[in-house]
Amino acid sequence: MRKEPHIHRLRRVAIGATVAGSLLLAGCGALRDDSGRPLTTLNPKGKQAQSIDDLVSPVFWVAGVVFVLVQVGVIYMVIRFRRRADDVDGVDEPVQTHGIPALEWAWTGLPLVVLVALGVLNAKTILDLEKTPDDAIDVEVYGQQWWWEYRYDVDGDDQPDIITANQMVIPAGRHIHLKIRSNDVIHSFWIPQLNGKMDSVPGRTNDWSIEADKPGLYQGTCTEFCGLSHALMRMEVKAVTADEFEAWKDEQLKPAVKPADGTLAAEGWDEFKTNCASCHQVNGMSYKFEKETDGAPDADYGDGQVSLTSGNAPNLTHLLSRNQFAGNLFALHTKNGEVNEAELGSWLRDPSAMKPMAADQFRGMPNLNLSQDQIDKLVAYLSTLK
Amino acid sequence: MAIIEARTPLQLDSGPVPARPMGVFARPTTEQTGWKSWLTTVDHKKIGIMYGVGSFFFFLIGGGEALLIRLQLARPDGKLLSAALYNQVYTMHGVTMVFLVVMPMAAAFANYLLPLQIGARDVAFPRLNAFSFWCWLFGALYVNSSWFLGGGADGGWFNYAPNSGVLFSPSHGIDFYSTGLLIAGIASLVSSANLVVTVVNMRAPGMTWFKLPVFTWMNLVVQFLLLFSLPVITVALFLLTFDRLFGSNFFDAANGGDPLLWQHLFWIFGHPEVYIMILPSFGIASEIIPVFSRKPIFGYPFMVFSGIAIGFMGFGVWAHHMFATGMGPMSVMAFSLATMFIAVPTGVKILNWLATMYGGRLRFTTAMLFAVGLVSMFTIGGLSGVSHAFAPADTQQTDTYYIVAHFHYVLFGGALLGLFAGCYFWWPKIFGHLLNETLGKWHFWVTLIGFNLTFGPMHILGMQGMSRRYFTYSANQGFNLWNMVATVGAFTIAVGLLIFFANIAVSYSAHRKNPVPCPADPWDSRSLEWMVPSPTPEYNFAEIPVISELDEFWHRKYGHDENGRLARIAKSEDVVEVGGATGIHLPSPSYWPIVLAAGMPFIGYGVIFSLWWALLGGVLVIAGLIGWVLEPSTDPEAGHDHHEAPVSDDAPAGELAEAPAEGAAAPELEEAPVG
Repeated sequence: MRKEPHIHRLRRVAIGATVAGSLLLAGCGALRDDSGRPLTTLNPKGKQAQSIDDLVSPVFWVAGVVFVLVQVGVIYMVIRFRRRADDVDGVDEPVQTHGIPALEWAWTGLPLVVLVALGVLNAKTILDLEKTPDDAIDVEVYGQQWWWEYRYDVDGDDQPDIITANQMVIPAGRHIHLKIRSNDVIHSFWIPQLNGKMDSVPGRTNDWSIEADKPGLYQGTCTEFCGLSHALMRMEVKAVTADEFEAWKDEQLKPAVKPADGTLAAEGWDEFKTNCASCHQVNGMSYKFEKETDGAPDADYGDGQVSLTSGNAPNLTHLLSRNQFAGNLFALHTKNGEVNEAELGSWLRDPSAMKPMAADQFRGMPNLNLSQDQIDKLVAYLSTLK
Repeated sequence: MAIIEARTPLQLDSGPVPARPMGVFARPTTEQTGWKSWLTTVDHKKIGIMYGVGSFFFFLIGGGEALLIRLQLARPDGKLLSAALYNQVYTMHGVTMVFLVVMPMAAAFANYLLPLQIGARDVAFPRLNAFSFWCWLFGALYVNSSWFLGGGADGGWFNYAPNSGVLFSPSHGIDFYSTGLLIAGIASLVSSANLVVTVVNMRAPGMTWFKLPVFTWMNLVVQFLLLFSLPVITVALFLLTFDRLFGSNFFDAANGGDPLLWQHLFWIFGHPEVYIMILPSFGIASEIIPVFSRKPIFGYPFMVFSGIAIGFMGFGVWAHHMFATGMGPMSVMAFSLATMFIAVPTGVKILNWLATMYGGRLRFTTAMLFAVGLVSMFTIGGLSGVSHAFAPADTQQTDTYYIVAHFHYVLFGGALLGLFAGCYFWWPKIFGHLLNETLGKWHFWVTLIGFNLTFGPMHILGMQGMSRRYFTYSANQGFNLWNMVATVGAFTIAVGLLIFFANIAVSYSAHRKNPVPCPADPWDSRSLEWMVPSPTPEYNFAEIPVISELDEFWHRKYGHDENGRLARIAKSEDVVEVGGATGIHLPSPSYWPIVLAAGMPFIGYGVIFSLWWALLGGVLVIAGLIGWVLEPSTDPEAGHDHHEAPVSDDAPAGELAEAPAEGAAAPELEEAPVG
């Protein structure tokens, strides 16, 4: 007898829900776009990220259906069973239902069945992501406050032949096997478009994989809280073709070239030896401060002499082959391809002003109180590290 | 010698009160009023109110910290807070909201309501109950005193090693965190044992396990969770304290320790902690929805067993917080699958609440709005939770704002909305007047909108790759829009909270101006606490009721007609107690709980700064213990006479078919505990 107006109202609710749902779906589609969103998880560009996406999509769909059902249920109950002004106490009283066990077993059992089905998919994906093919390329990844280091063993002698920072270069289409370690606290290595994240835990080596379908730049960020500049500990993966990768390796394997005598850069090298070389390695030039070597990087550079808590500062041998410095934060090159001397200079003047660090506690780069003259020389020297 | 031979302090015989031996103070009496009565009270109701007031005080602090976080993140490259200060603020926001807001607010309701819902006059150990409160309060103030003593903790509430070590966090903030949470942990542990014993032993005659209100059930589960999980965090905090202050190496990998040990211990506590925070609100919703639907809770056994199941399963899923730590695929799979299935009992609860509303006659009071809001909002948090039960998906989601969104939908959309619902629902029982419904509805809608504006966009931010615990972000990362929306939302929530405080003030002054006595049963409710006058008299029940039904009070008012529809058999006014009873023996107040608790923070300061402070703290603790033991039980023979005024003796005979005969309560239950 009182039902007619409610049906109207329910129809309006149904139309509203449909419109809202369509908008939501359209919104979800727009979310998948990665332009201007370099860290999005919704636009996989590699095998592992794709299999995660393939798992999570049906999960989101199931969750979406449950969400709509429950919310529509709530709205329906609220409208349909609301106490009305013309209700008479003692007459319009509800039937006292204490429960319907069959129904309750059903809504215990049904989710169980759905979850078992999704659980099989889940288990399969977990195991799939563990697989590493025999021809995978190994890269060691070290997290430390607040930047990432990568080590490549090119000749298979278990000694790193290339040590680089911030930007990891990989060949596209190849499975990269990462061995993730930490030099101080726990960090987490995450390139969202290539794979989920894996922590770098002191005392452990964690295996992880990435693979980029196509050449390109893939942004990443540390995602386990690691202190002051956790937010500014960024990295990127540069995927290149197989040929370009070989060329990159050849270039990286070369030791640094000593600047010609009498140049500003040569004076910069002298400044570097005094002020920087106790932490920063330049292959072939700064080994143990004076002794020059064959140009291979030293895996334990400055061991026992470096005052840094992490015992490690970025290897600068081929600094300018990378895009950015200081935890992938500042561009090394200006737009017209020149060395970004301004920001390199600012960084040398007062690193903590550009990125919060605890240099007084030997974490992060200290302010060396360099004069403008020293800074100019150092920038000139760094500009030779191509 | 002569004194001891004459009388030992423990000798408590009848007859004239003996002269007190030296060193034994008189006990404060219940006649005391004013602020002193609050310091010495052992009344579970006053203690509950103090927990509530305390938790709202810290809500202001934790909320202020939240607003600072949102201001910093409103725009890219925020400069309001330095990285160091931001890390302290977000850490203390989490610590405050978990340990100093949600837990004590739930404890406020548990303290106030559990004895009433089971028909008891107090908890099993009233002095221990007072000790729990003071210990919590002093621990809470102690943790916050770190702001004035070198800065707050800066390692996150999860405080992962080794970033929590002195090497990486040399200020004393994390020392305050570890010792402060140890103190608060003592409070919770004592309280949980107290409430378990209370519910197990002090139920009114006839109140079998399956006549226990769902709120009491959920809180009982919570007390067991606390009882079993707090020892684990206690161990972890001790190890941390030793690592930081005494040079041990439990979490230092370079010296044979393991940073993951902290994570395991922390989450073995930390995951049950999630249910410790949410189950009380599930209980509150399970009380409110039936009352305002005028129907019994749908599927009572399912509601109870799903709560117990959540409690059990909550202990077996901790490592789902650690999917990205490199535990190995088998551990990941086991914890991933186990976590998925927690969705089953949780889903049962949501569907049963909906089924309770189905076919009911819903009255949308503010309490009901908040309870239905819980059902709707918690569902969102539950579903996002299922999505990161899938370990591979979690490796994309964990440590991003998607997780921040998820647990705020659980803890704000679930726990806090439930606790607000409880405030509106039980306010008249506690304070003797209703809260203003108009302002209450404003409070609800402003909070609901602000909440969704704040935390809804965080799902998107997380999926777009914004990590948690970032003091800043860059304009080119695509996070600008939704961060601004979230900040607007956070201030909307703040407005909602201000409306709530305004409501308290307005309702109180309206009541002062026009003090109409509040009926015992303003909502036409179901459980025993509504049978006693509002506000609850000190002795709770004049006559301990004899229980024969689930929702005993309801069944004294209503029966069914031949179609199963509700039919009134008695008026509320005729069923409820009238109050004014005298001569009921109640536990006497005591000085010692607050003295004992006051020693705790000094021990903390001693461990951090100078052991002399610990000596002072130790003296207070020992003095408190001795005073506690020697305290005379005031006039142990008093109050055994049966009081004069029987309940509702003007009700016509026969109408109260189920009402207990006068004096039917077992004599041993007439007495409240004296502990």
